[in-house]
Order: sequence, then C-alpha cells, then structure tokens
Amino acid sequence: MTVLAQISSKIREGGQSGFLSWMMTIDHKRIGVLYLLSAAAFFMVGGFEALLMRIQLAQPENKFLSPDLYNQIFTMHGTTMIFLAVMPLSAGFANYVIPLMLGARDMVFPKLNALSYWTFLFGGLFMYSSFFFGGAPNAGWFSYAPLTEKLYSPTQGMDFWIMGILLLGFATTIGSINFIVTIIQLRARGMTLTRLPVFVWTMFVTSFLAVFSLPSLTTAVLLLFLDRELGAHFYNVAQGGSALLWQHLFWFFGHPEVYILILPAMGIVSEVIPVFSGKPLFGYKAVVFSAIGIGFLGFTVWAHHMFATGMPSTTLLFFAADSFLIGVPTGVKIFSWLGTMWKGKLRFDTPMLFAVGFVAMFLIGGLDGIHLAVVPVDWQLTDTYYVVSHLHYVLFGGAIFGIVSGVYYWFPKITGRRLQEGLGKWHFWLMFVGMNLVFMPMHILGIQGMPRRIYTYGAGRGWEIWNFIETVGAFIVAAGMLIFIINFFVSLRKKATNETDPWDGYTLEWKTTSPPPAYNFEKIPTVRGLRPLWDEKHPELADWKAGE
Amino acid sequence: MSILTNIPPMNKFSTGKVALSIILTSESVFFATMLVAYIALRKQDSWPVEHTLARLTIPIANTAVLLFSAISAWCGTVSIRDRKTSGSQGWQMLTLLLGLVFVTIQIYEFSHAGMRINDQAFGGVFFTLMGFHGLHVLAGVVFLIINLVRTRLGDFSPNRYEAVELGTWFWYYVTAVWVVLFGALYLL
Repeated sequence: MTVLAQISSKIREGGQSGFLSWMMTIDHKRIGVLYLLSAAAFFMVGGFEALLMRIQLAQPENKFLSPDLYNQIFTMHGTTMIFLAVMPLSAGFANYVIPLMLGARDMVFPKLNALSYWTFLFGGLFMYSSFFFGGAPNAGWFSYAPLTEKLYSPTQGMDFWIMGILLLGFATTIGSINFIVTIIQLRARGMTLTRLPVFVWTMFVTSFLAVFSLPSLTTAVLLLFLDRELGAHFYNVAQGGSALLWQHLFWFFGHPEVYILILPAMGIVSEVIPVFSGKPLFGYKAVVFSAIGIGFLGFTVWAHHMFATGMPSTTLLFFAADSFLIGVPTGVKIFSWLGTMWKGKLRFDTPMLFAVGFVAMFLIGGLDGIHLAVVPVDWQLTDTYYVVSHLHYVLFGGAIFGIVSGVYYWFPKITGRRLQEGLGKWHFWLMFVGMNLVFMPMHILGIQGMPRRIYTYGAGRGWEIWNFIETVGAFIVAAGMLIFIINFFVSLRKKATNETDPWDGYTLEWKTTSPPPAYNFEKIPTVRGLRPLWDEKHPELADWKAGE
Repeated sequence: MSILTNIPPMNKFSTGKVALSIILTSESVFFATMLVAYIALRKQDSWPVEHTLARLTIPIANTAVLLFSAISAWCGTVSIRDRKTSGSQGWQMLTLLLGLVFVTIQIYEFSHAGMRINDQAFGGVFFTLMGFHGLHVLAGVVFLIINLVRTRLGDFSPNRYEAVELGTWFWYYVTAVWVVLFGALYLL
C-alpha cells in the first residue's frame, strides 16, 4: 500500500524531474513530449528503412538486400511511417498544444492520455520485435488478404502485425476520444466553435475520422486473425468467404486514414502562415468547413483504391466523381493559405519555409491524386511508382513538412529555446531539394511501367538513371535530417531564453511562459475573438472591435 | 484546489455522456462493418444456402431476458433519482442477475449451435459477432457490479448518479445490439 501511495503522490506532483516522473506522468505536455520523441525515433527507423530500399534499387540486379528482407523492409517502412511516425507526431503536438490553445489546464482524461501513449509505444515495439521472432511482416502496409492468410504468409510476422495494429488502433481510438471530449468540454470562457484555432479544428475532425474509421480496420485484422489462428474462412473463397472483403474493410479505414495523416499538418500550416504573414487567416470559416467537408468526403471514396479489382462500371464512376470532389475543399484551403500570404508582412523563418514548402509539395501530390482518380489513367498507373510518388508528395511533402514546420514553430514553447535558424535553413533546403529528387522521377518511372514493391529490375528499360537520381535524393534528405538532429542537440545545449512569445503569435499557447508551468495558466484566459493574444497585445486593433 | 481539477467554462454537456456517446458510436461502426461484411458474404454465389440455426426458442428467450434487464436497469436509475436507494439496489441486482442468465444461456447456445468457428464462413460470422456482443455484455456486467457496490457504499444521490446513468446507457446499447444481431443472424 505504501508503494501505491508513493506512486500516486508522485503522479500528483507532476512537475518533478527524473526518469520515474516521466514514466508516470499524466501531464498533457509531458505526454506530448513523450509522443513526439518516440514518434521521432520511429520516424528515424522508418527513414533508415527507406534508405536501405533506395540503396537496393540504386542500380539494376542489385543484391544489397535479399528479396525476403526487402519485402519486410517496405512493409515496415509503410507501417512505421503511418502508424508509428506521422499519427503519433500529430498526436504529440495535439497533446501538447490543444489544452494550451483552448486555455485549459490539461486534457479532460489525463490518465487515459497516458494509457494511450504507453499502448502506442508498446504496440510499436511489439511490432518491431517481430524482426527477432522469425521475420517481420512482409505483405505491404495494407496486407491484402488472402495473400496474408496462413497458407500464403506462414511466418509469424503477420500475427505480430495484426496484434500491433490492434494495439495501435486502441491507442489512437482512446486518444481521439480524449481530444474530442477535451475540445467540446474544456474551452476557455468565450471560445466558441467559431473562435477555435484551426489546428484544434483539424484535430477535432481528425479525431472523429479516427474514431469512426478505425473500427473497420479492427474488424479487418480481427477477421484475418481468426482466419489464421482459428481456421475461420472470412477471406477464403472456397468456404464462402470473399477475396475482396479485406480490401473494402481496409480501405474504408484506409482512405479516412489519409486525412487523419494530412489534416493535422494542414492545421499546423494554418497556424504558422498567418503568424508569419502578419495577418489573420484568410477565410477562417471556409478553412474550417473545408476540413469538415474533407472529413465527410473522406469516408465515401475508399473504393478508388480498388479501381483495378473488376468492380461494376457504375461503382467506378461514382467513386471517381466523388474523388474529384475532394479537390474542391482542398483547393479552398490552398487558396486560403495563398490569400493569407497575399500582401502580408512575410517573415521567412524556418517554420514559415516548411509551411510554404508544404503548400507547394502538397499541391503537386494533390494534383497527382486527381490524375489517379481518373479510372482509365488509374488502370494504367495503379501499383506503379506513380502511386508511390503521389502518396509521398502528400505524406512526405505534405504531412512531414507540416509537422516539421510545427517542430520549429513550437520548439521554443516546449524547451524555452529557439532552434538555430542557419541550420534550420540548411535543413529545409536539403529536404526540399532532396525530396523532389527522390519523388519527382517516380512519376516518370511509373509512366514507364515500373511496378512498386519490386525487389530489383533488369537493365535496359530506361529505369536506371531515374532510380539512381532517387537514391542520391534520398541521401540528400537524410543529410537534411542529420542537420536537424545536430540542430536539435546544439539548440538544447544553449542557455534557455524562455521567450514567452518568440514569433509574435496569435493563440493562447504564447500567452503562458516557455515552457509552461504544470497548470498552464495562472488565470484561465477569456476569449473574445479568433486571435485572443493579438487582441491582448493590440487592444486598439482587436479583432472583436472590427466586428462591432 | 489541486492543479488537475479544472472547472470547465464552456461545457454545456456532461463529460461522461459526451465520452460514452462517442465510444458507443465507434462501437457501432465496428458492429456495422461486421454486419455489412456478413451481408456482402451472403450475396456471393458461394454462400451456403442453408445454415443450422433453425431453433429459435433459446434466442427468443434470451431476447426476452435482455429486454427485461433493460427495463430493470431503467428502474434502477429512476429509483436513485427518486431517492429510493434501496429500491435501486434491488433493481440493479435484478439487472445483474438477468445479465448473468443471458451469458449462461449464450454459452449453452454456443455449445449447441451445431457448428464451430471454422465451419464455413457462417461459423466465423456467427461466433465473431456473438462473441463480441458477449464480451460487451460482460463489460456491462462489470459496469453494473461497480455501480451496485458504489450504490451500497452511498456514493450516489439524486444530484449525483451519473455513473448509474452511464451504466444504464451501456446496458441499453448492449440490448439494442443484441436485437439487431438476433435479427441478422437468426431471422435473415
């Protein structure tokens, strides 16, 4: 009993230091930091896997990796980047920033928050432990059944994948419920839904997407598990099962998942661009409604991942037209960012560089998506490197650029120190040039017919030069990330300046000290407009006065 | 005042009810995808024409048990609101007993269903859906036990009995899901 009492008093004290205090913390800021650091570590591992693949593909008939290991590497690369890097990085920022932006003292369920983090961490480590137990999963991140049935994937890797996904799905679900209830319940006095910062809005939509789409993935992997371990026949056509069922269940989750990955980054960019343009966000309500619109439409387009499966032509038409529709709310966002920058007092600090990079790269990725929504084009390009190019422009050029922008933007709040600008600029330009060298030639390779996920290729198809350029680009990106890591440690070792509001920000997280105290705000602020801190700093120019 | 206690200024709803509504909606998506998967499988040519769930006596009896338990759960909540704490204990006890009766009958039904999880696709559908509903019933039973103990300890009053309400909500949900599953698996 005394041990338990000690533990609970430790948890209550919160603001302590030491290993144990981090293990048992239920402070949203510390959990946010844990999320960010763990996800960054997984991101590095996923990036390392990408480098291995690029070395393997640098020249034809290469023998750097064995075919089986190559399959494991690309499966874990995709799974890691999606479930263990981008989602928890967003969750980390959301944990850290949302209560501060709302003017709250913590998340609504702090213990649930800790449970969510630790489940995520152990889910990720569990999945990676499969490398030591007979091989990692090797059927690609979307693990199509019946390929993943025991008959065709006899190693235990698939079982690790299934159980890892169940754990990660559980972690995300309870985390998302926590975000939703926090946003509904813990807003500071006066913070109506139309005064919610855009990042909070996008996380609100993202959390709903997660809560309503993850059950479909849970169903899919559960049925696969029953098939594999108890001999059920859900995906076995010979016994009344279906070979297409997995794809429907998976993509009913998988497409909303795409927006789960990109919406938080859009939210970060929608916070950064106005601050560094010295203007309010252009068309706030349009941005919010477009996020909600993307959320709704995201649930209705899943079968565009399945154009090549022989579905009826009316189905194809519906899903194609529906997929084009998503271009509309996305375009609204792009124009709103451009409109915010238009005639603004632009400051190109590193957060802004990454935010602008996001807009440009996401635009390319989005346009690729429109191409792929055209059924005949998709029939030609499906499962080629064109698709790989598209998804990396939106997820690397999009989600990762947005998240990195957030890292530079909120680092001073979290640590009390800015990241060094000079190294930051190197980081940006290396990553920007590098990623275009990697992913732009993939368009050409895709059109030339190079299938994704092949272990190697023969010479003489005109693929060599592009593959080589891509590998060079991958190392340039890696150099950029290395500079970021150096920057991270160099900046941390500097003396803290503890600037409360280094960027002249608009939202409430810049009102409290850097780093904030355990209770966030001495006095809970009240809110009268979209930019509460701006109103406070410029009382004569306050937003709410313009409306009167 | 402790640091973590927050008096939220903009909340119009009860936190527990908001949270439970979202959880139950998420659960519904899970059951819905399972049911849609089942219907999609049935529409295939390879689907077996007949299955062995012809006897309806047991599931109908079980439906009645759950429906009665939902009514008694409602009575348990209402009596707390009306300051009849001991009456509420009785109703909660009855709900709990009916829940356990349901589980017992389900176990009997499972062993006498005349199929196993690996008998064609329907076996998998039946045991997965029923099994997951059964797990929800057990979770509901745990919820009811906690509420019963807390009622005995005098944790609830007419002004403060949200946990009992939430437990009742969850129990309604379990009942409603059962009705849908009964229709889909036995009657369809």
